[in-house]
This record gives sequence, C-alpha cells and structure tokens, in this order.
Amino acid sequence: MGFGDLKSPAGLRVLNDYLADRSYIEGYVPSQADIAVFEAVATPPPADLFHALRWYNHIKSYEKQKASLPGVKKALGKYGPPDVEDTTGAATESKDDDDIDLFGSDDEEESEEAKKLREERLAQYESKKSKKPAVVAKSSILLDVKPWDDETDMAKLEECVRSIQADGLVWGSSKLVPVGYGIKKLQIQCVVEDDKVGTDMLEERITAFEDYVQSMDVAAFNKI
Amino acid sequence: GAEELALLEKLLGLPKGNKYGVQGERQVPVLQTNNGPGLTGLMTIAAHLVKQAKKDQLLGSTAEEKAVIQQWLEYRVTQVDGCSGKEDTRIILQDLNTHLEDKVYLAGNIFTLADILMYYGLHHVMVDLTVQEKEKYLNLSRWFNHIQHYPGVRQHLSSVIFIKNRLYTNAH
Repeated sequence: MGFGDLKSPAGLRVLNDYLADRSYIEGYVPSQADIAVFEAVATPPPADLFHALRWYNHIKSYEKQKASLPGVKKALGKYGPPDVEDTTGAATESKDDDDIDLFGSDDEEESEEAKKLREERLAQYESKKSKKPAVVAKSSILLDVKPWDDETDMAKLEECVRSIQADGLVWGSSKLVPVGYGIKKLQIQCVVEDDKVGTDMLEERITAFEDYVQSMDVAAFNKI
Repeated sequence: GAEELALLEKLLGLPKGNKYGVQGERQVPVLQTNNGPGLTGLMTIAAHLVKQAKKDQLLGSTAEEKAVIQQWLEYRVTQVDGCSGKEDTRIILQDLNTHLEDKVYLAGNIFTLADILMYYGLHHVMVDLTVQEKEKYLNLSRWFNHIQHYPGVRQHLSSVIFIKNRLYTNAH
C-alpha cells in the first residue's frame, strides 16, 4: 500500500489514479486518512492530475474541521492501492540524501523484528518437542502356554492369561495349536514395554495359574 | 415524481403524511398543503421539504452555492427528465462528467439537494450503462458511486456497480 513518494510526480500519479473513482482516500466520507495524505502532499497537485487536484481542493475545504474528522491517522504506507509497494518503511521523517541506504536503520529494525519472530517460533518448537513422548522400547512376544492335559478348559486358560494386567502389557491375538495326543497349547501374542514388563514376570504370573497351566515358553521375541 | 419525493422525505427524516398528486400531461407532482393552494413542481416541493426538515444546508449557505444548486435542480428537471433518446442522454452524461472533473459534489464541496435529486433522476440511466460507458464517464461514475453510499440516500433503489476495469485506463 502507500502511494510512493507523494512529493514526486510518480507518487502523485499513483494518487491521481487511485482517486479517479474515489471521492476520498478511505470510504465515502472525509476522514483522518484524507488528512494524512493531504499533509503528505503539501502543495496542490498539477492541473493535469485533475482527480488528485479535485480531491486536494475538496479536502482543503475541510481544513478547519480536520481535527474532528473520523478515523485514526495511520502511517502513510497504509493507504492507497494495495498493489503499490510501501516505500515509506520506518521513515516518515523527511527524506535524506541517502534514501538508498540499504544497510541503514530500516534493515536493523527489520532484522530485530525477524529475530524476535524467529525466537518465538523456536520456543514454540522446543515446547512442542519436549511434550512429545520419548520413543518407548517395545517388544512383541509370542508365548506358548501348555495345559496339563487335553481335558483342560482352554477357554478358561486363555481367560486366566488375559487376566494378567500390567502397565506396559497389551495382549494380542491368540490361537490354539495342537501338540499331539489331543492336547492343545495356547499361543498368545503380547506387546510389552521393555522397561516395564519382562518375560520373567510374565512367566511367573502365568504359571501361577497352576490348575490350568503346566508351563510357559517364549516362542518368539521380536523387538518393535 | 411522487415516489422520488417519498424517498426524499425518508432521507430527510420527515414523517410520512404528505399527500402528493400529479398534474397535467407531464405528471408534475403536486403537494397538497393544509393552508392554501398546493405546491407544484419537483424542485419547489423538494426545497420545501428540505426546509420543513430544517436541513437548509442542503440548499446551500452562500448566495453562490444556492445559485449553483438551483442551477442543477433546474438542469435535472429540464434536461434529465425531458431527455428522450440516446443522444440526449449522452450529452447529459458528458456535461455532468465534465462538470464533476474537479468537484466532489455538484455544488462543489458540500452535499446538497442537487446531488440527491440528480442521483434519483439519473438512477434509471446509470443502471443501464455498460462497463465501458461507466468508465468513459469516470467522474460521473465516481460521483454516483459516492452519492449512492451516502447514508439514507439509496434506500430501496438498486445499487449500481462500478468496477474500475484496468483494460480501459484513460491515458492522461
């Protein structure tokens, strides 16, 4: 936004073009926006830029009421056509010789802002990261649970095994595998967090069901 | 005619209740007043309503302003209302466009009855203009767009769209 340098012919041309189909800088009533631009223009525009001249003379007629016009005066760069680059930057003071001071105060200000933004973003990232749980070591274990004989109620056996609850232990699928003589063993999958659950503990607890369980083996042990 | 005066009444904030009739072939509006003969003529009635509403500034403050307003009111009634055909319309639009080149309002820097009545009078013309025509009469379009946004003016009339088509920018 902005008109460019309103004291230059180029800037006035932008203003003129902008005002060709507008009576005021903003909206349909005179406001502080008009006053802001009016003060920047300072002298009446040339007669060939007749839209700008029309507007100028009109706003001049409001000179006495300028304090009471609605709106808030904003930086010059905030007004005008949206596709014009805002060349006013931080400098609303009078233009010096070194307009083209690329490494001057404009940049400093900008990098400070950019720096602040960057730091903010970093902080956000950090906090997000810290909240993220650390990758937990898990394993998938396949257990073979053998009953006493073929008359053991395998359903009950499975129930007992599944009743074993522990933090970091999740039971998976199971199936009955025949071993001979009509006896079936229970093959059941589980996922454990290595830090929390160990196979010893599992064995202890499964074999505690003495009525049903003769023994337990680890058929397979895979790290996830 | 009478509908326009009703719109004006509303804009001025006057209570309804005025009775309008029409007279003659050209449907000149007549306002029946309680005391005395009716008021005849759009301009006359409009000015009367403005004074009734105590918005005299709409009729201008300086002698010059008042004269200019009267001039445009007369223009409205004689030229705009009396115009028939494309050629006449074109002349009016051109006239107004030229006049509005260096003015925000018809009378210069203030919103007056001239703007109001010219807006109502031209509305049916502006509605039918093509995009190119609106671009051609740039100042008039600007003025019209401005007036139609003025609080209380447009009321139920349709809003005329003005877009600035960059393809047809004037080369000044």
